[in-house]
Amino acid sequence: MPAAIETERLTKQFRSLWSGREVRAVDGISLQINPGVAFGLLGPNGSGKTTFVKLLLSVVRPTSGAARLFGRECQESAARLKTGYLPENHRFPTYHTGLGMLDFYAALSGMPAPERRKRAAELLEATGLANWADVRIGKYSKGMLQRLGLAQALMHRPALLILDEPTDGVDPVGRREIRQVLAALRQQGVTIFLNSHLLSEVELFCDEVAIISRGRVALAGKLAQLMAGSGYRVSAAGVPGAVSERLRQSALSVAVLDGVVDFRFADREGANRAIDLLRQSGSEIESVRHEQSTLEDVFVRAVQESTQEPRL
Amino acid sequence: MIGGIQMAALVGDTFRESLARKIFWGFLGCSTLLILFFLLALNIDIVEGAWAAVSIFGQETRRGLVNVDLLVRRVLGGVAAFLFTAGLFLAIFASAGLIPTVFEPGRIELLLSKPVSRSRILLGRYLGTLVVIGCNMFYLVLGVWTILGYKTHIWSFHFLLAAVLALFAFAVLLTVVLLVAVASGSGVLATMAAYFFLIMSPILAQHEKIAPLFRRQWSRDLMRWLYYLFPKIFDLGNMARLALEGRSLPSWTPLWSSGAFGAALLAAGLWVFDRKDY
Repeated sequence: MPAAIETERLTKQFRSLWSGREVRAVDGISLQINPGVAFGLLGPNGSGKTTFVKLLLSVVRPTSGAARLFGRECQESAARLKTGYLPENHRFPTYHTGLGMLDFYAALSGMPAPERRKRAAELLEATGLANWADVRIGKYSKGMLQRLGLAQALMHRPALLILDEPTDGVDPVGRREIRQVLAALRQQGVTIFLNSHLLSEVELFCDEVAIISRGRVALAGKLAQLMAGSGYRVSAAGVPGAVSERLRQSALSVAVLDGVVDFRFADREGANRAIDLLRQSGSEIESVRHEQSTLEDVFVRAVQESTQEPRL
Repeated sequence: MIGGIQMAALVGDTFRESLARKIFWGFLGCSTLLILFFLLALNIDIVEGAWAAVSIFGQETRRGLVNVDLLVRRVLGGVAAFLFTAGLFLAIFASAGLIPTVFEPGRIELLLSKPVSRSRILLGRYLGTLVVIGCNMFYLVLGVWTILGYKTHIWSFHFLLAAVLALFAFAVLLTVVLLVAVASGSGVLATMAAYFFLIMSPILAQHEKIAPLFRRQWSRDLMRWLYYLFPKIFDLGNMARLALEGRSLPSWTPLWSSGAFGAALLAAGLWVFDRKDY
């Protein structure tokens, strides 16, 4: 099965017509996101996140490199058949009612009218907007617009959902509702691509993340691996080779210093199993520590390191 | 199938926006006033077959009996002239905003994210605007035509051709709006550009009289080139007038050259839109 999103050295360079100044907003990003994954894209303001999303949706044309959605080149309109998108700072036409807006955007996805009517009613109910279906969206609050935008992205039952700051302007209750909708979609196998500056949201929801800085990927991988510091560290001396090898398979990382082996585990269960095994093997446990690293630590470290690198 | 659903949605959306912006209703109101004038204020009494006494708001005209056929041609000619001058002016003014609004940040991104080609998005808006203006033009023309036909028993089908020509002229000018709006994103600039061609048209139509007044050969050549290059809105109006008078058309050049101009600008607009980043 092809990747939900695949980019190869994707680059976008903007050039000012008047000054001739060139800005490389996205600089050779290569990523692969498999179907069913909840993926978070992180980065400081101006790092190229939104341009990257726009490249995926062909809103912006690449300068070089390639981007594919489910194996189809992004420039083909058919590549977006399975994709739902909620943009940041959206401006839905205010002459539509909630129902009319869902109907219009679903028609652009090629859905027949009877199916659109049925699906719109379902989603308005699911997003708590059923009573507002016939009200012009000019009268909707920010949170309601955000929920309607999410419904719009889900109308044609996409296999990939690209969300740009989906909980922006939504109150805590609304945020939880949106998270619940997304969790249900994830269980159905929908790939979710979340572009958010809210690290806690990404930490709660995503399996994999990429941190981009100055248009490049500063760090990418499974969230659990990237947050290896936020687990349990077990240090032991005199560990037999076979035991060390066995623990290496379940540990996030293993380091050896002056005969002391340092194992890192993502959770308490892993650490406890390791302690049992080490005690049975006669190893001397030096220390057990719970590490408090957060995604924020990982993010700040990655961005700082990337800004220290000279740009070619 | 999918293409049809998408196109219908885009045209319908343009129509809905024109209703919300009161453009459609404004036009409909103006057209209705004109139709009501012909229905209620203009009284035509056929006296002796081909002759009629005409009264406006109950006051008989000074001319006494007039030839009905001539009267109908003149009235229809007046409405056609209105379509090609004030009608086109108002149509551009009212509808020019319908195309640039699509390019507003926050709106264009969502449209482009849908599985619909960029050319279809633009053509959908273009056709939608034509439908909005076309509905109003045909409402006015059919209304006036029916009332005059009923009152005089003269049914001039050439008048319907005048409406088609006026809509064609609007379609050509709308390609100017489309190209400038795509390139600049400015509705005001797009409107000004369309007015430029509308205003230049009657001036360039007189190129044979005006060109000899220029001293230099290049300026005379330039005027001639501009005439052949630019849309010939004035000449199209003239064609409608000649058709209404039942006279043969001296040349089809205004029709095909304006069509070629519109097609070139439409293609250029689609090309620019296809390559533009938002």
